[in-house]
This record gives sequence, C-alpha cells and structure tokens, in this order.
Amino acid sequence: MLNRFKKQSYLVQCTALLAVLCLFIWLSLFSWSIVPVSASQAITALFQTDKSIIAHSIVLDLRLPRALIACTVGACLAVAGAIMQGLTRNPLASPSVLGVNAGAALGMATVTILAPSFGLFGSSVAAMLGGAVTWALVMVLGSAWRGGEHGRLVLAGVAISALCAAFTKAILILHEDQASAVLTWLAGTVANARWGHWHQLWPMALIGLVGAQLITPTLNLLNLGEDNARSLGIKLGWARILCSILVLILVAAALSVAGSIAFIGLLVPHMARSLVGHDHRKLLPISAMLGALLLLAADIISRPIIFPLETPAGAILALIGAPFFIYMVSRRNR
Amino acid sequence: MKTLLSSFLLALLVAFIVALSLSLGAVSLSFEQILSGFDASSEFYFTIHEYRLPRSILAILVGGMMALSGALVQGVIRNPLASPDVLGVSQGAGLAAVILMTIFPSVSIFWLPWAALSGGIIAALFLWFLCGSHSGAIKLAITGVAMAALYSSAVDFLMLTKPLEVNNALLWLTGSLWGRGWNQITMLLPWLVLIPFAFSLAKRLNLIGLGDDVATSLGTSISMTRLWALTIAVGLTASCVSICGPIGFLGLIAPHLARRLVGGRHQVLLPCTMLVGMVILLLADLVARIINPPIELSAGIMTAIIGAPYFLWLLFKVR
Repeated sequence: MLNRFKKQSYLVQCTALLAVLCLFIWLSLFSWSIVPVSASQAITALFQTDKSIIAHSIVLDLRLPRALIACTVGACLAVAGAIMQGLTRNPLASPSVLGVNAGAALGMATVTILAPSFGLFGSSVAAMLGGAVTWALVMVLGSAWRGGEHGRLVLAGVAISALCAAFTKAILILHEDQASAVLTWLAGTVANARWGHWHQLWPMALIGLVGAQLITPTLNLLNLGEDNARSLGIKLGWARILCSILVLILVAAALSVAGSIAFIGLLVPHMARSLVGHDHRKLLPISAMLGALLLLAADIISRPIIFPLETPAGAILALIGAPFFIYMVSRRNR
Repeated sequence: MKTLLSSFLLALLVAFIVALSLSLGAVSLSFEQILSGFDASSEFYFTIHEYRLPRSILAILVGGMMALSGALVQGVIRNPLASPDVLGVSQGAGLAAVILMTIFPSVSIFWLPWAALSGGIIAALFLWFLCGSHSGAIKLAITGVAMAALYSSAVDFLMLTKPLEVNNALLWLTGSLWGRGWNQITMLLPWLVLIPFAFSLAKRLNLIGLGDDVATSLGTSISMTRLWALTIAVGLTASCVSICGPIGFLGLIAPHLARRLVGGRHQVLLPCTMLVGMVILLLADLVARIINPPIELSAGIMTAIIGAPYFLWLLFKVR
C-alpha cells in the first residue's frame, strides 16, 4: 500500500495527506475528553455554535486551538528539519540534534524568568537569539561548512545541547521549585494551548513556512554541492544566512508555544523524502503536512496514557524518534 | 618524582575541599565548630555527622569510581571520546533503575544497584552489537549518544506518566547528592572491591595502549582484558548510578585531566584519575550547594557545565 502511495502523483499525495489531516483534526476535537464530547458535536460546534452546550465550548475554546497549534508546530519543526538537512547535506541534521532546540529553550527560560516584563514577544525573540547562538556555535565547531565530517557536527550539537540543557535546568531550579511543571515544559506539550497562543504563533509560522517555500529552488541548487551551486549563480553566504534565519523563525515559533519537541525535524524529512524524492519544492509541503500529522497523532495518543491527566506529546515523539535516530546513525556508518 | 608530587598535591586538594564542604553551606561553620560536630552532644552534630560528612564521603566514593570507570573504558578501547555516559551505559543503568522504582515501587531499594548493573550491561552489549569491536572514535561516540538519547527519553516518558512516583525518582535522577546519607554509603561499600581488580589490570592496559598487534605479541590476551576491564567499568558505573543517578561527563574529563598531569602509565594514571574525579565531584557538589542556598542545584548540572565544553574541545582535536 505504501509503495502504491509512493507511485501516485504529487497532487494526489497532497490531497490524500490533507484528507487524513482533516480526519485527525476531527478525531482530536472529541477524543478523550473528561466531559464527554460526541463525534457529531465536534462538527456541529464548528458550524452551529451553541455556547450553552458545554461540549461546544470545550471544542471551540480548548480542543480547536489545541489541534491547530499541534498542526502548526509540527509543520514548523518538520520544515525546519528539512531546511537544515538540505543546508548541511547531513541526514542527521535537525533542530533538536544540532542543539537549536536547547539553545532556544535556554534563551526563553532566561528571559521568562529573569525579565518577565518582556512578555510573550520578548521570549520568542530570546528563543530565536538563543537558537541562533547555538546554531552558529555548532556550525563553527563542527566545521560543517568546510566539508567537515558529518559525525563531528552531530556530536558538537549534542554537546552544546547538553550544556544548554544544564544551564536551563539550573535557571529553572534556582527560580522555581515545581519540578514536574519544568519537566513537562522541557518535554514539549500542546495540552495547554489556548487561542492566545495561536494568535502569537500564526504570524511567525506563516512567515517561516511561506519563506521556506520561496527558498526551495536555492536549496535544490545547494544540494548539488558547493562548487556547482556557486557556478550556477548562488551566493552561498547569503543563501545560508537566509536559510538559517528561516530555521530560527520556525523553531522559535514552535518552541515558544509548545516547549521543546524533539525528533520531528529529524524524522519527518526522511519520511517525506521517501515519498517524493529530493526535490525540495515538493519535499517541504509534504514535510509540513507529515509533521502536522505526526504531532497531532502523538497528541491524540498521549491523551489516554494516564487519563485524565495529560502526558506531553513530546515524550511520545521522543520514544518514537530515538530508535529512528539510532537506526539512522548505524545505517550511515555501514 | 613529578607524578608523586602531583598525586600528593591532588590528595591535599581533596582534603582541603572536604574541609571546605564541611564548613560551607546554608549555615557556615568555623573550624572549631566542625570539630565539635563529631561529638554527639554538640548542636552541630546533626549538620556535620548526618548531613555534610556522609555527603562528602559519598562525593569522594562516587567521583573516584566514576572517574576510574571512565579511565578503564578509554584505556581499553583507546578512544578519547569514550566514557560510560557518552556511550550510554550510565543512562541505560539509570533507565533500569527508574523502571524498578516506578513500575515495581514495592521492591526493596537494595535491589537498585543490581537493576542498574543489568541495565548497564544490556546497554553495553547493545552498543557492541551495533558498532562491532573495531569502529572509529566518532562513530562509537555518535552511536552511544543516540543510545543515550533513547534511554533518557524512555526515562522521561516513565517519569511523566507515573506522576505519583516521580518525586522519588526525580530526586534520584538529577545526578544530585542531596539527601544521601550513611545508608547509601553502606550500599556502595561492597562495590569498592572492584577497585583493586581494576588496578591489577593496569599493566595489561599499558600494553593494549601500544596497539593490538604489539599487545598480542607481548603475550596479552586482548579480548579477555577488554572483557574484564569493560565489565569492571560497567559495574563501577552502575553502582554509582544507582546511588545518585547519571552524573554526566565526569567519567569523560577526569581521565583526560589526569593524563595531562601524570602521563599515560596506567599504574599511576588510574589512582590519579580517581583523585581528579573526587576533586571534580566534590567541587561540583560544593558549588551547586552554595550558589544560592537553601535551593540546591544538582552536581550533575555542574559537571555538565564544565564537561560539555571540554567534550567540544576534545571533538575538535580528535582526528
């Protein structure tokens, strides 16, 4: 079945993925609610809203923003991973593996705790700055852009992640003693998503996703190798800076509402590549949809585990993603 | 002569930091007050005897054992990036212990070291299965790091899904020495037996350092030495992990620092590594304790802050 799906044209694949995505959004609107919400109520709440019915307000005020945010965050992270893998030509590159997640989390934790007056916008900017610093550090240390070894880049990313995570934990522990809240935030969850988060998320996500789609031709040329790209008229420095800025916007947007969610950026581009091949013009939209689907699915799966309490979706994703990471590492080494 | 002097200075440093960590903390004590703390009738008896003294002893034991296990691993696979925590052995041991604590909370805590040991051995075997015996430094490290990511995500998952047992496990897991006392020390004592065994391998480790061919022609059984050294290393790591959780980067940096001080002869290197490990962990614990009392950071956070940049530097140097 998967093979048959791979052979379909790009348009058919997109439509099918969109249909599945809609189905999952609908599922996530009513499944595992403490106050029972029926499947049909999930539909009627959207089109014939009656605020006196509790189920309707649950769907509209809690479940709908949650589903939308899960989709957008998943899409952002997946596209960021696809750009990073295209840029570094390293199949293991992704926001979490190369330390961008950890750096952004450190920036955000620093600003939210030390200077809370900057508000949500300030923490997004801090997340971007933190991510930018670690990304630059990893790039310099891993010497990826001078044709260095791929493994070195990844190890540099892991070490910087460990450093940033240690600082983040230190800051969090020193300023509040709610260990489990911190854990939840670090694991990444969309359970607390409200419309306020959505209004904060969508402008940045839109800029990032549209921008990513616009630079796909450049990414395709970069994939031909540095020399070829340069001789075809790409200004390598600018292309890299542009790509990096887009990655940072996407990661910061996702992280500031959902916490640090790992492995989507690693996993999804590979799935998408096996569907549509290496053309980034097709790869990025498919990645976005698959990423949305994956995070949404993880969010739905995470609900019944300790019902009625919530398990962070990021924990589920890490459990799926880490074996895949091992698989990628050991396959590349052969 | 130089090696003797450095060892002596290190031992002196350990004693000095122990004295410091007995005196500093939420309440600072003077030297006389510390001495009087050993007397059961004194008002400082509780602070010194029940709180700071066992903690310092534990830091000495754990620091020494973890560093020793790192030196064994680095010596036997000749890989400067190797150490129990980079290779995922610590995290594997941690996962096994967390499984025991969260899924079987009624089991006695004295089974923890054994659970951790089996977890560590399984993790080591799994890594060996993935990498084989001959693999490059970077490859081994990256596979180990991937395994460590898997184990720690499983640990996170368990902690997040079992919120009732989480406090117990969380306290333990952060690589902190907080709240550990004489009980934990007695749990750790039997494992000290491994240290003389480790020292007895020193000569053979020197030969292995010359390369496989030379070592074989000089009459060393390489595979047996490897097996013994790695088993001892896993045992040392697992026993420490079962007491205070995975303390990152300690086993990685201590052998490197010791090698800079006294060179590569394992007869001197192994004891010296232990001393360096003690100094690092004692310092990390002390700083974590006094940075903003009464809130405590964990020593594991401190070792990560020192160790991660060092790891980056090593990465830069390794060819």
